[in-house]
Amino acid sequence: MTVLMRRWSFWCLMILASLAVFGGELFDSPPGHPVASPFCKPLWLSRDQPPTIELRLTTEEPELSLDWRYSPPSGLSIVVEDSTGDTGRFVEIARPGETPIHLAPLRGGFRADGRDIAFKRSLGLPPFKDASASLFAAHGEYRLSVTGTEGFEGAVVIRLEGGRWGLLGTDQRGRDVAALFTAGVRVSLIVGLFAALLATFLGTSLGLAAGYIGGWVDSILMRLVDLLLSIPLLPVLMALAALWGKGLWQLVLILSVFSWMGTARTVRSLALSLRDAPYIEGLRGLGAPAGYILRRHLLPETFPVLLATMTLGVPGAILSEAGLSFLGLSDPRVISWGRMLHGAHSFGAFTAGAWWLLLPPGLGISLLCLAFLDVGKFLEERVDPRLREART
Amino acid sequence: MIEIRNLSVTYARAAGGEVRAVRGLSLTLNKGELCALAGESGSGKSSALMAMPGLLPAGTKVEGEILLDGVDLLAMSEDALNRLRWRRIAIVPQGAMNSFTPVITVGRHVEEVLRVHLGLTGRAARERMDGLFTSAGLDGTYAGRYPHELSGGEKQRAAIALALACDPDWLLCDEPTTALDVVTQKGIIDELKGLVGSRGLGMLLVSHDLPLAASACTRLLIMKDGELVEEGAPAEIVARPRSEHSSELVNALLRLEREGAP
Amino acid sequence: MSYWARRASGAALVLMMVLALNFLLFRMMPGDPVASVMDPDFSPEAKEQLRRMYGLDRPLPAQFLLYVKSTLSFDFGVSFMTGRPVIDELRSRVPNTAALLGSSLLLSAVIGTWLGMKAALRRGSLLERCVLWSGALSFSFPSFFLQLMLLMLFASMLPLFPLRGTLSVPPPDGFAALALDYAHHMALPVISLTLLGFGGWAIYVRNLAVKVLGEDFILLARARGLPARNILLGHVFRTMLPTLLTLLLLSLPGIVSGAVITETVFSLHGVGRFLLEAVTGHDYPAAGAAFFLLSLFTVACNLLADLLYPVTDPRVRLERSAR
Repeated sequence: MTVLMRRWSFWCLMILASLAVFGGELFDSPPGHPVASPFCKPLWLSRDQPPTIELRLTTEEPELSLDWRYSPPSGLSIVVEDSTGDTGRFVEIARPGETPIHLAPLRGGFRADGRDIAFKRSLGLPPFKDASASLFAAHGEYRLSVTGTEGFEGAVVIRLEGGRWGLLGTDQRGRDVAALFTAGVRVSLIVGLFAALLATFLGTSLGLAAGYIGGWVDSILMRLVDLLLSIPLLPVLMALAALWGKGLWQLVLILSVFSWMGTARTVRSLALSLRDAPYIEGLRGLGAPAGYILRRHLLPETFPVLLATMTLGVPGAILSEAGLSFLGLSDPRVISWGRMLHGAHSFGAFTAGAWWLLLPPGLGISLLCLAFLDVGKFLEERVDPRLREART
Repeated sequence: MIEIRNLSVTYARAAGGEVRAVRGLSLTLNKGELCALAGESGSGKSSALMAMPGLLPAGTKVEGEILLDGVDLLAMSEDALNRLRWRRIAIVPQGAMNSFTPVITVGRHVEEVLRVHLGLTGRAARERMDGLFTSAGLDGTYAGRYPHELSGGEKQRAAIALALACDPDWLLCDEPTTALDVVTQKGIIDELKGLVGSRGLGMLLVSHDLPLAASACTRLLIMKDGELVEEGAPAEIVARPRSEHSSELVNALLRLEREGAP
Repeated sequence: MSYWARRASGAALVLMMVLALNFLLFRMMPGDPVASVMDPDFSPEAKEQLRRMYGLDRPLPAQFLLYVKSTLSFDFGVSFMTGRPVIDELRSRVPNTAALLGSSLLLSAVIGTWLGMKAALRRGSLLERCVLWSGALSFSFPSFFLQLMLLMLFASMLPLFPLRGTLSVPPPDGFAALALDYAHHMALPVISLTLLGFGGWAIYVRNLAVKVLGEDFILLARARGLPARNILLGHVFRTMLPTLLTLLLLSLPGIVSGAVITETVFSLHGVGRFLLEAVTGHDYPAAGAAFFLLSLFTVACNLLADLLYPVTDPRVRLERSAR
């Protein structure tokens, strides 16, 4: 176990698994909800691009200042969250080097958007430019405040839409890519692990049957294995997705039906070699039924190998799910890394140069698969020392 | 003349550590003589044989000298050794070994060697090949056959034919009769003895079969645990074994003979 | 002879099963099969053609026979989406897919084999470690990710290659210009598939070569004083050849999936994208035709692999003819 812990892949998997389980806590809103304008860059890029900022003016904090060093924001919205009626107060904005002007009345339920012509006219701004472009044209310190606070409950939410947001930016619908990434880990892990588990279960049962019973059962199963091995997986997946539905569990089922063959072969040769072992023959001679022998003796012998083959089977399942999602043949409501790449491709992320949309899911898939491959190889070498020698 | 001086062969074990297969071996081989090197499995005789043409696995420590007409083979470069191989020293490998490349015909093996070493092609090559097969006791049809189509004895004879291709001075035979039936064994041994006589070769015959070795050779050497423990004419050794090990062997032999005597 | 008869009949059986499956598939739809296909928006010509092709008014066995007959004569009917005969749609696309898959498979195999052999000869070197890593990467890297990245880097950020399509619109005049334009469009797809494929080959070849290099007959080839190049080509590689050839043929059906994804990413006019569009658009004649061709291709590759193996490996010949 300690040897395993020294491998990078172990820690990588632990981190990703924790992300899958606890990742949801990291974000305020569900991953499917838009948080900013589309194709925002990550915050740590292009420092001159405006970030998306949300300011709240409350009774406790009636005044906020902003050091604006970027190009003007692309959008502006003001929402007064307050149940009282017209308080006769105003939201003020003081631009650098200028006197404060009234931005909006402090009236409960007031909403304004930088594109409203009426709003722009009330401020004397040019009607065809977004208000935010006119208001925030200069660099310097801006102050937003509420005139007086008596009778003011609630908050004024002023939102400046920028080109930057969050750790990984936003996608074509303005959703936080970091949140999507975290949600995607879950899907990949679930599909990968369950499909591999099911395939292992299927493969073990059929392999044991073929190896131990032999005869025509063996021949039929081996012919089936050959047949299934020669069928390319993706077209079948495509057909079944189109016909049977794009659900996640259908996918897991089909993936396992097409991946049990390797395990079956390995288990079969193990069963064949053990079938004639003296102690097994002895058990048979004593009248032990085949089921008992298989369950109590042969099956436990397969466990080390099974763990290795199952781990090695996970990347294939993850890649198949990703491929299918990328082609658009998965459930659109389910956020997966492949689906993210589908969105990126279909909505021209790469023409917009939005590489931050491509890298996280793609690297995520690769990293997850590499980690499973590494652990799987490690387990495989533990089981079969011959492989370790061949490696040196 | 081949002179081995103080040869030591140490293998590296995969799991770490070393195995000394040959320790301080010194012996001399002369042309026109069939020398047999006998001993149990693991006595180091095959390692000693393989050391001569430089065919021990990479990473093996080899110390000492092997002088072929005064030139140290162990100090030679791989290129220089390659020019010697097959032209001066040829190997007749164990029959049990997969000595032929399975996907090409026996004849192609011979043709290749004739082309690379002697520059012979076409008709000249084929004529020589026919001669080689004949002197090994095989007819011409064998050239077109694949290795898996030959029986054990046929493969051994083909290996001998191949070994003689470039008319070497020295023939090193590593267990050439293992896994063959007794009649075929005798045929092979007679073949080899005949070659020494007709071509004036120097031959080293390595075998774990002491009676066979003793009957074939003119000089017998016995190894145990990597060291040479006995050397001399076979009759001498049987009559008067000097080391403890060889006396054990001889006694076992004599007991067999006595018990098997009609 | 009976061996080949058995293999051929096995292949025919598989094809029959595929045909049956294809035939039954849209009958397995919930509800009335006719209604599921007869989208009220379909043109009367399409409806009539569908009726004719599937003989929907005739008894089921007769329908199946009709379907088999038309499929085997490559009469796949008319596509629901484009209204053109499916066979024409396929005819224009098969060459592109063949060019894409053929060239990338060949390049991957050649580069991978070369690297694998080198790695086997230099055990423990940096090269060998790189080969092992590239192999692991090729099993974990999603193909579309690499392709999207390549597109972004070399078609969007650095406009060296076109963003989409098999040819420019409008295509240039003259054969040389046309060929160059074609190559220009196919470059990124082929490069991406080669990059994704050579790792797997390299690892496989390396492992196989290590095994062969450890064999007795290679040691004896060295004993015969043969130069290293002769041994490598004439003995090591020659022994590996049957397996590698089989691998080449058997990997062909597998890379069809690569075609679907690649053609989607690069918007190529090929069979893979056709399959995807047919499947998502519920275009049954088109989808059925594509699946049938795919099965035919798979079966043919398997059969060919079996046929060619004894040609390169004499050990198998004797056993085969003895059956």
